Amino acid sequence: MINFLIRRALYAIPVLLGVALITLLLFNVAGGDPVAIKLGKNPSPAEVEALRMELGLDQPLLWQYVDFLRQVVTLEFGTSWTDNTPVREIFWRGVGPTLSLSLPAFTLGSLLAITISLLVAFYRGSVLDRITTLGAIAGISVSSLVYILVGQWLLADQWKLFPIWGYEYGAGAIYFLALPIIIWILLSVGTDVRYYRTVALEEINRDYVRTARSKGLGEQQILFRHVLRNCAVPIITRMTIAIPFLITGSFLMEIFFGIPGLGSTLYTAITSSDLPVVKAFTMLGAVLYVLFNILADVLYAVFDPRIRL
Amino acid sequence: MSHQGARGRSPLQEAWRRFRKDRTAVFFLVVFCLFALTAVSAQFVELLQGSPFTYEMTLAEQGISAFEETSHPPSTAHWQAWWGTTAAGKSVLLRTFHGTKVAFVVGTCGAGLSALIGVTLGLFSGFLGGWVDAVVQYIYSTLASIPYLLLILALAFLIRQGPISAAYNSLAFSEYMSLGLFNIVLVIGATSWVTLCRLVRAEVKKVRELEYVQAARALGFSNPRILFRHVLPNVFHLVIINFSLTFVTAIKSEVILTFLGVGVDKEPSWGQMIADAKSELMRGIWWPLLASGGALFLLALAVNYVGDALRDSLDPRLKDG
Repeated sequence: MINFLIRRALYAIPVLLGVALITLLLFNVAGGDPVAIKLGKNPSPAEVEALRMELGLDQPLLWQYVDFLRQVVTLEFGTSWTDNTPVREIFWRGVGPTLSLSLPAFTLGSLLAITISLLVAFYRGSVLDRITTLGAIAGISVSSLVYILVGQWLLADQWKLFPIWGYEYGAGAIYFLALPIIIWILLSVGTDVRYYRTVALEEINRDYVRTARSKGLGEQQILFRHVLRNCAVPIITRMTIAIPFLITGSFLMEIFFGIPGLGSTLYTAITSSDLPVVKAFTMLGAVLYVLFNILADVLYAVFDPRIRL
Repeated sequence: MSHQGARGRSPLQEAWRRFRKDRTAVFFLVVFCLFALTAVSAQFVELLQGSPFTYEMTLAEQGISAFEETSHPPSTAHWQAWWGTTAAGKSVLLRTFHGTKVAFVVGTCGAGLSALIGVTLGLFSGFLGGWVDAVVQYIYSTLASIPYLLLILALAFLIRQGPISAAYNSLAFSEYMSLGLFNIVLVIGATSWVTLCRLVRAEVKKVRELEYVQAARALGFSNPRILFRHVLPNVFHLVIINFSLTFVTAIKSEVILTFLGVGVDKEPSWGQMIADAKSELMRGIWWPLLASGGALFLLALAVNYVGDALRDSLDPRLKDG
């Protein structure tokens, strides 16, 4: 286990170095000129030069890269180029709204999907199973933008059940978050049901289920005492891997519903060439991704004694 | 050399026999073919017509009386207005028709490019092992760690402004594929090959150790021959299944990329119609969304269903039935 952790941690280093390099390259080649964006139209050449020096853009790319790595290691990402707020502050401001949308949506969605999948696996081959499978495949065939647009139009604009747009810090957030949470669940439940149903069916066809059945156990007992426990491994791994994406947030949902979270912040930062924010958020996303993937492997070994790391 | 099995049927014939049993799958295969036919005829009609294309003109501009430069709900007054007109007064039917072509270009080229990259890297990585494997694994681990939004947006900007757009202009097909479309195909190809690459790599690692490959090696066959004649056919079912998944991902990504302003711009697409619906819906104009979203839904559903049925029928473990 310790060996495994060390190996994975060492392997993560070149990956993160690569992510940092790609981020910097993509941005230097692809992004607009940050100086032009910061100074607006018609700056004097002296101003441009001074700002380029201040931002370190006059340095060679390699030096910029080293500087970037230094920022990552010290967790000191400087201030946003658009409004001079410290990046750290931007992060702490956005993480609350993002999590208050993604956590309940993900938890409720997963619970719903797992319940449906077990139920369907229990009644496998029945009409209920067939309808659910068809419903799930239909659900994943709809564009996510259509879900958002129709949900917003029908439930908020036409029926006035929810507000269309906005956010409020504190307990009032639930008023604004209800609709995006519902849409998120609708969006994800199809994919999840398809995945968990496969997991449950695979488990149901195993030998120990046959043994349990021949021992005279009831279907219900087999399903909840034996099958669900063995399904726990893939369920936990899938949920662990999803956590980084919950923290970085869904930019589409946040843009459409005006939630000031990390997803919409990253989107604004990319479109306005706000390099410090983009660098910080990208590295955060990458570190979380790598970390939770390692964690998923560890959990796999913890819960499944057949697997040794 | 023929691929006749013991029962006189090739694996493909065997798979088709299994596939045919699922009537719904056959129905959706027909639906898919109808969409493909529509896409081809849209391209054909436009080649004959040449610009300016009718789909870019309002009905009023074409001199069709009783229509103004505003939106009309679906009506039978003129065939172009059967599905209504957009907020600007253009034919929803014609724009959806052209959108089918765009969706097919995005789907087939995007999924094709992704399959090409995924299979090539997966084959070499799994078969050769060693440092090739290490490099490929490194590339996809790194790519998967970058937030998707940043990757697609940055790539889209990059392709738009950078040297790639200059290279694009010199391409032979640049007249048939707008830059926005080309952009989406490249972005999808570059970002969605990882899953297939992983699957192919794992499968090749397994197949490489099987007796028939060792026999081929003992017979002194060259590596390329073993790779393409003996290993590739045995992992090809993964490619077909993954192609259908990526096809759907591609046409769904077109919608999001176009909404974000880095997708299709010079021609109508389903994504553009869905993105336009944001302002249209609030004014009560729902028919462009129904047409474009509905078309996308039907095509995606058909491909998803056929993909599932293919997965079941191509699975070599299920020989009975």
